[in-house]
Amino acid sequence: MSSIVQVRDLVKTYDNKNVVDGISFDVKKGEIFGILGPNGAGKTTTLEMIESLRPIDGGKVVVDGINVADDPHKIKYLIGVQPQSPAFQDKTKLTEVIDLFAAAYGERVNPKEFLDDVQLGEKANAYVESLSGGQKQRLSIAAALVHSPKVFFMDEPTTGLDPQARRNLWDLVKQVRDKGVTVIMTTHYMDEAEILCDRIAVMDNGKIVALDTPKALIKALLGRGFTKAQHVEQANLEDVFIDLTGKALRD
Amino acid sequence: MNLGKAFYTVRVFAFTNTRRFFRDRTAIFFSVLFPLIFLFVFGGIFGNSSNNAKFHIALINDSQSAFAKSFAKELKDSKTLNVDDAIKTFSQAKESMGRGQLDATITLPKDFGTVKPGTAYPSGEVQIQYTQNNSTAGTTLGSIMQGILKNINAGITKAPEPFKVSTTQIKEKSLTSFDYTFSGLLGFSLMGLGIFGPINVFPELKKQGILRRYSTTPLRVWQYFTSMAISQTIVGLVSIVIMFVVAVAVFHLNLIGNIAELGLVIIMGIVTILGIGLAIGGWASNERQAAPISNIVVFPMMFLSGTFFPRFLMPDWLQNISSFLPLTPIIDSIRLIATEGKHLIDLGPQLGLIVLWAIVIYFIAFRVFRWE
Repeated sequence: MSSIVQVRDLVKTYDNKNVVDGISFDVKKGEIFGILGPNGAGKTTTLEMIESLRPIDGGKVVVDGINVADDPHKIKYLIGVQPQSPAFQDKTKLTEVIDLFAAAYGERVNPKEFLDDVQLGEKANAYVESLSGGQKQRLSIAAALVHSPKVFFMDEPTTGLDPQARRNLWDLVKQVRDKGVTVIMTTHYMDEAEILCDRIAVMDNGKIVALDTPKALIKALLGRGFTKAQHVEQANLEDVFIDLTGKALRD
Repeated sequence: MNLGKAFYTVRVFAFTNTRRFFRDRTAIFFSVLFPLIFLFVFGGIFGNSSNNAKFHIALINDSQSAFAKSFAKELKDSKTLNVDDAIKTFSQAKESMGRGQLDATITLPKDFGTVKPGTAYPSGEVQIQYTQNNSTAGTTLGSIMQGILKNINAGITKAPEPFKVSTTQIKEKSLTSFDYTFSGLLGFSLMGLGIFGPINVFPELKKQGILRRYSTTPLRVWQYFTSMAISQTIVGLVSIVIMFVVAVAVFHLNLIGNIAELGLVIIMGIVTILGIGLAIGGWASNERQAAPISNIVVFPMMFLSGTFFPRFLMPDWLQNISSFLPLTPIIDSIRLIATEGKHLIDLGPQLGLIVLWAIVIYFIAFRVFRWE
């Protein structure tokens, strides 16, 4: 599969410190690519440089054949961005949010269609301030896809959501990928990365310390002789929670 | 970028923003009702004072004669006198004059209007008492009384009058202080809309990351500014039209200018003043940065541009300085067109200054704008 994003020796410097320190990786067309790492590892900064929101201090990024540093404005038509905590101006109807974002790309769309895709069709005429956290995330995803981007960025999309809303969002992300959109996401949740991501880059101190499929990463660890101290149960507390409360969305 | 698409973007942002505004009660209160409250307060203070200046007097009638009674009634009916009925004695009147509530006291002595022995007609003396501070009112009242008595005398003696004075009110109205107050209030309303609006909204939009989210789209700063200018102009026109309606209906504002020209000047004013709000709000990352800068900009304009009191009351040097503030030519042009019936062609210097300011302000606003 050909790569849609190529990152080569990417550097970002703040106060003489390289917060992103010469990283290189490729994202393949149509995959869900996860960037993991502790806070301050440089995940968000990396995303923002690829998104053309932050100047690139060293190296280069190419998205769908376009060098980000050369034509940041063109890049914006190719990408959709889901911010960490989506917010919208209040007194705006959901349909108007979709219309606004489509208009930002100079396009007209049928907002109902996009809202139905994220199960917000019934709320089409509600104001954004009446939405729950999970619903805002879904509206934000719909708004980020109005111009059919080739690459979709998500920054910690499920932080603060309840287990039902998280699972629902995972399904949505898979649907997006199945439509042929490449997804690049950051997360702090390992279960999320394991379930969603086709490949994972683990970042620490501005460098990529590992890059592979989740399975291969686990296999490699086990191959180094790693064993868990405890016996692993066949279910965990989240399985109990979902079993007790069901998978249906609450919002 | 395709220009049609670019303006489609502007249109959707502008109209969504306008609709949002009219759904927001707080926003409506501050930009439509708040200036109206000011209008009623200031209109109440300045509304009638200069147009029909009346003398506030006490009338003490010590005489019982029929002539004195009808004379007293004539004074009470007079358009130039406002007789305070509550005051019956001279000591009360003196106290009231001392407090500055009365301009003068008119006393009709005991023998006023009686027919004195040896004469065929009533006679008497009208006495006017006034305090040191009110000598103008005293002398004027003296002349008014002279005039009234002269007519009465002529009626009694039937003597011919070789010389006469006649006064006629010409149709032309002069500017009232309300005319000045009103254009100043419009200026105040423009500042509320154009400056306080954006400097309150932008830091909030930045804090929530809403502007940052827009920056991930191809939306350009000029498109965003233009859409803001359009929606603020619509809101501003609604607010200002309501103010004009109230001013004309309630306070008898003398609106004689061309409405289209007036509208154009008001739109120029809204857009120019909005630029100040866009510059400050667009630059500031948070409220703490926005507040001091906006105070530095707003307060001089509020007091020096003729918002709350007319500039002609200021010393010359201050008038010269304040005439170059961005709000001054806007307030002046609105007043000159609305109440003096001037045309755009007469307002070259004012309009030139507005355009110059608009260029400077928007140049700065574009340079300092930050999405986050």
